[in-house]
Amino acid sequence: MKRLRIEELLQRNVWDVGKKPHIEINMDACGSCESKLCVKLCPAGCYTVVDGKVLFSYEGCLECGTCRTVCPQGAVKWSYPRSGKGVYYRFT
Amino acid sequence: MIKSNTTFPTKFDAIVVGAGPAGAASAYVLSKKGFKVLLVDRSREAGSKELYGGRIYLGPLKEVWPDLDKKAPIHRWIKKERASIMGKDGRIITIEYNAGRRTSFTAYLPELVRWMVSKAEEEGTIFVDEVVVDELLTSDGKVVGIRSGPDEIRSDVVIDAEGVNRLLLEKLGLVSGPRPEELALGIKEVLKVRKNEINAQFNVDDDEGVAWILMGDITLGIPGGGFIYTFNETISIGIVIHMANAIRAAEAGAINHSFELVENLRLHPYFNKLWKSSDVIEYGAHLTIEDGLSFMPKRLVYPGLLIVGDAAGLILNTGYTVRGVDFAVYSGKLAAEAVEKALSEKEGATEENLKVYEDMVRKSFMYNELKRHRASKELMKDPEFFTKISRIPLKFFSELYEIDKEVPTAYEAFKNACRSEDSGPLSLMFKLWGMVKKL
Repeated sequence: MKRLRIEELLQRNVWDVGKKPHIEINMDACGSCESKLCVKLCPAGCYTVVDGKVLFSYEGCLECGTCRTVCPQGAVKWSYPRSGKGVYYRFT
Repeated sequence: MIKSNTTFPTKFDAIVVGAGPAGAASAYVLSKKGFKVLLVDRSREAGSKELYGGRIYLGPLKEVWPDLDKKAPIHRWIKKERASIMGKDGRIITIEYNAGRRTSFTAYLPELVRWMVSKAEEEGTIFVDEVVVDELLTSDGKVVGIRSGPDEIRSDVVIDAEGVNRLLLEKLGLVSGPRPEELALGIKEVLKVRKNEINAQFNVDDDEGVAWILMGDITLGIPGGGFIYTFNETISIGIVIHMANAIRAAEAGAINHSFELVENLRLHPYFNKLWKSSDVIEYGAHLTIEDGLSFMPKRLVYPGLLIVGDAAGLILNTGYTVRGVDFAVYSGKLAAEAVEKALSEKEGATEENLKVYEDMVRKSFMYNELKRHRASKELMKDPEFFTKISRIPLKFFSELYEIDKEVPTAYEAFKNACRSEDSGPLSLMFKLWGMVKKL
């Protein structure tokens, strides 16, 4: 058994990713954040650090709400994907 | 999408926002009573945004669907209850209880919810999927319908079953934003395992299942725990971590990526033999409520509005028992009965007339359970309980069973175990007693 990377885990799901992001990040507020809790706690690994800055991709979002709960900057403008887009659970 | 052969009324008696267990139950009960009900959900297909741990208690569901245990897509009836305390070094204590009767079962929540929604549709509910509700419409301080994009739909009453992320209630200013202290993060993997392998590994029959909770090192000592549930041909495994403590652990550098915790469980040398030829077929996450009474909105009814299920904070987590789906269904049923009463009055869905729902909830077993187990909340958030205290019994058994030459007396083993965590036997007993009283 080998450890799966988050990308590999997410690939096991059925997805219908929308064209537009359903989450918006206020980059001004985000840029001044030290703790970067989203990077550590988002269960989909949607937040990554590149050159000290947080990069966000909405494609693997599991629509759980962790980022909006933990963001100390209030920088996450969070909503659900429209038109039934996003993750499609079958066995959960 | 709206099915082409249904006629779409311009006004409904009730609109239910969110087709989870609470929403589906309220729509079903209201439709059965003859009301015109619109049930909307953001999913592509009913159930496809549903995620939970894996076990549902039958009792409250049967009050809504008496034939649910015969007709619904149930996987396995929980026969074995297991609870384990896990140490860092591979030491594990497990207790197992073999149940005498069937009170809970496993089911895929997407499948079960689809079944519930189909029952509501049979009774006349109009179900529309792929609808994200942007706001609850108000007029003169009363909720009068919903808006989704450019579409506005009116109703006498709206039932809010939007779940743990209360975007609509927040927008109306009825609840505050999410508070880490009240919430927990659940992350889950579904493992495909052959049916006969599950039966052999867990020593169960085809329709019998296992519910297994784990505490201690599985969450790196973060308050919360792990879970394992068996389904027909899958095993669901996962972890739940209390959000405020997860934040502290992240700030302290103790956790780098939350998803690694579930992989730790899947690969754990003690457990991975149970699913050695497995394949991960699904991965997901969902927020859950750690403290229902605190999460509960100040009021559960407003003019034209009732709040049910997770959105109402109606979920119980005692550490050894988690009840969400059955509470949700039951609150949906109570809301439907309250709406029937209110709409039979001349003034309709005023706050005063809807108030009966709040009274019903407060008199119900759900509210009693939440109150009864309230003290356990403190314990469930206490890091000491999940680290120091849970290490003492592990140490005790290691003293007792891992023998070179001399066997200590049980009391000596206990003293040594206490000492290893800088505690005297007596002060530990007092502490434990204080903790046990909260459970």
